[in-house]
Amino acid sequence: MRILIVEDEPTLQAQLADGLGAAGYAVDAAGNGVDAHYLGDTEPYDAVILDLGLPQMDGITVLKKWRSAGRTMPVLILTARDGWHEKVAGIDAGADDYLTKPFHMEELLARLRALIRRAGGHASAELICGPLTLDTRNNRATVDGQALTLTSHEYRVLAYLMHHRDEVVSRSDLVEHIYAQDFDRDSNTVEVFIARLRKKLPPRLIETVRGLGYRLSAPQ
Amino acid sequence: MTAAVTRDGVSALPRGSLRLRLLSGTLVWIAASIVVAGWGLSNLFHRHVEAQFYTELQTHLDQLTANLTLDARGLPVLALPLSDPRLSRPYSGRYWQIDRIENDNYEDSRAAAAGIGLLRSRSLWDQVLTVPADTPADGELHRHRITGPEGGKLGMIERSVRIDDDADGKPRTFRLIAAADERQMSEPVSRFSGALWLALGALGAGLVIAAMVQVFVGLAPLQKLRAALGKVRSGEMQRLEGEFPAEIMPLVAEFNTVLAQNAEVVERARTQAGNLAHALKTPLSVLFNAAQSPDTHDRELSGLVIDQVGIARRQVDYHLARAQAAASARIPGTRTPVSPIIEGLARTMRRIHADRQLVLTAMPASTSLSFRGEAQDLQEMLGNLLDNACKWASHRVEISTCSKDDQLRIVVDDDGAGLAVKQRDAVIRRGARADEEVPGSGLGLAIVDDLVRLYGGQIVLADSPLGGLRSVLVLPLAR
Repeated sequence: MRILIVEDEPTLQAQLADGLGAAGYAVDAAGNGVDAHYLGDTEPYDAVILDLGLPQMDGITVLKKWRSAGRTMPVLILTARDGWHEKVAGIDAGADDYLTKPFHMEELLARLRALIRRAGGHASAELICGPLTLDTRNNRATVDGQALTLTSHEYRVLAYLMHHRDEVVSRSDLVEHIYAQDFDRDSNTVEVFIARLRKKLPPRLIETVRGLGYRLSAPQ
Repeated sequence: MTAAVTRDGVSALPRGSLRLRLLSGTLVWIAASIVVAGWGLSNLFHRHVEAQFYTELQTHLDQLTANLTLDARGLPVLALPLSDPRLSRPYSGRYWQIDRIENDNYEDSRAAAAGIGLLRSRSLWDQVLTVPADTPADGELHRHRITGPEGGKLGMIERSVRIDDDADGKPRTFRLIAAADERQMSEPVSRFSGALWLALGALGAGLVIAAMVQVFVGLAPLQKLRAALGKVRSGEMQRLEGEFPAEIMPLVAEFNTVLAQNAEVVERARTQAGNLAHALKTPLSVLFNAAQSPDTHDRELSGLVIDQVGIARRQVDYHLARAQAAASARIPGTRTPVSPIIEGLARTMRRIHADRQLVLTAMPASTSLSFRGEAQDLQEMLGNLLDNACKWASHRVEISTCSKDDQLRIVVDDDGAGLAVKQRDAVIRRGARADEEVPGSGLGLAIVDDLVRLYGGQIVLADSPLGGLRSVLVLPLAR
């Protein structure tokens, strides 16, 4: 899962990046509206955390531009402005949730999980595929109740596949969603992660669709 | 104008009416000019009639003088009778008489005995005019007032004439008298005066009516201005609208400028308050996050920081909300249609509480219902109530709006656990959280209560027919 953080205050931006990174997300950050707009317009994020008071272009404008360009990723507004008229304006501009500063990191993570889950059409915080269960609240994967030990990259690959269960996910999709933008990407490493996951998971859970990518589905 | 309006909108007695001031000046002037004109005109006419009266009498005297001769016995006779027929009709009120001056050494005793009224007009019949003793010198004309034969007052003129008696060559002196009833003079004067005062009275009444109409019509724009101000106060209009006379237009323009500036100042205050919030809360967030970080070693310090940041945040929220509300409750003339606000908040609630899978129903409100106040304040009050309802509801939240007794009532119902009666007051007053489990600053209801009070309304908590809590916002309705 890849998240864009838009926050102009550098310390807070770093704290957010740390918190989200620790929660298993790949994180990009932007410090002004113009950069934020560009990133959100060109990169496939799974969610965006958006501050409203931004230099160069304010958050509401950025959000409206994304929405009018057909960008549908969930957006959580994180702002100090907590008037209801601002919340209404934010929601009407296309935001999916609204959180005011100062905030509990736990609450932010919970809301972010809920947004990503809803965007994928999942009702519960626990994603289930056959014997495999992924609890997005604590980043734990279990097979028949037995916890799996996963590295953060393995977890990201598995979480992305679980969110897109029964869909064919291309290798480049995976790369886009498990790495931050400035990460040195190598699509071959995806194969390595898939191979390691297959060793830890029951057989035939992750199939390779020749020429297209991978599909996670419960065995028949 | 006649009733000054105090700040509470209660009519008080007029303390100096503009209308009275304008009218009294005009009325005094009208009355004075009518009295002076009436007195002057009737006086002028009186003098004219009087002059005419004595001119006629003098004509009689002149005719007497011209026709007077002495007969062979030395007695006065008229060569020709006088032309005026009234002198021949008995007691016509117009008389003449010729006396012989007493102290003349006249020898004829018969004539001497008949010295008074030697010759008289026929109108005197058997009466003699009694005249005061007086001997006008040659060429003099004397006037007297005497009592006439029927008791009325007569105006009289006399002249003495000396005629040489051909018989003895001695001069004889006669006193020629012409008199007429004064009523012949006073009657036309009083008739004229009556007609004159009637005419002047009518003129005065006309002028007074015209003056009153003028004052009322002239001051009518002030009534209109007052009505327009009332509309601004009641929230029906944002500024003074309508056509006013050129003398009042600058006042209207100035007032509108003040209104606009007021709104601008409030808007700036709001913006600055928002900026202050932003400026304060971002560093608070940094502190808060740093204290929460699992890498922190000093747990005691981080606990203190988390607590204090929470307090600081609540203080900022509370005072910001108060400052913003206090600013906006003072702008007159703002009105906010309720329906769009409810719809916007309902959209927001459905999104923010999407996980709760609530059925949020906004009963269609009459589109004409408007709140007398700022949109942002209504959003703040209703937003907090709705947010609370959504947090506590099991499945359903309902919003309905109505107007009752000239007040706007917005009712929010939920089907949650509700709130015990004794808890309700505490929740509002202290901004306490009824249950720490549900996230939120807990200040929501206290802020709502503050705002509602600033608008002179109230918030009522009751049992909901849905089973949970019913919150009723009672607010001023914009007419």
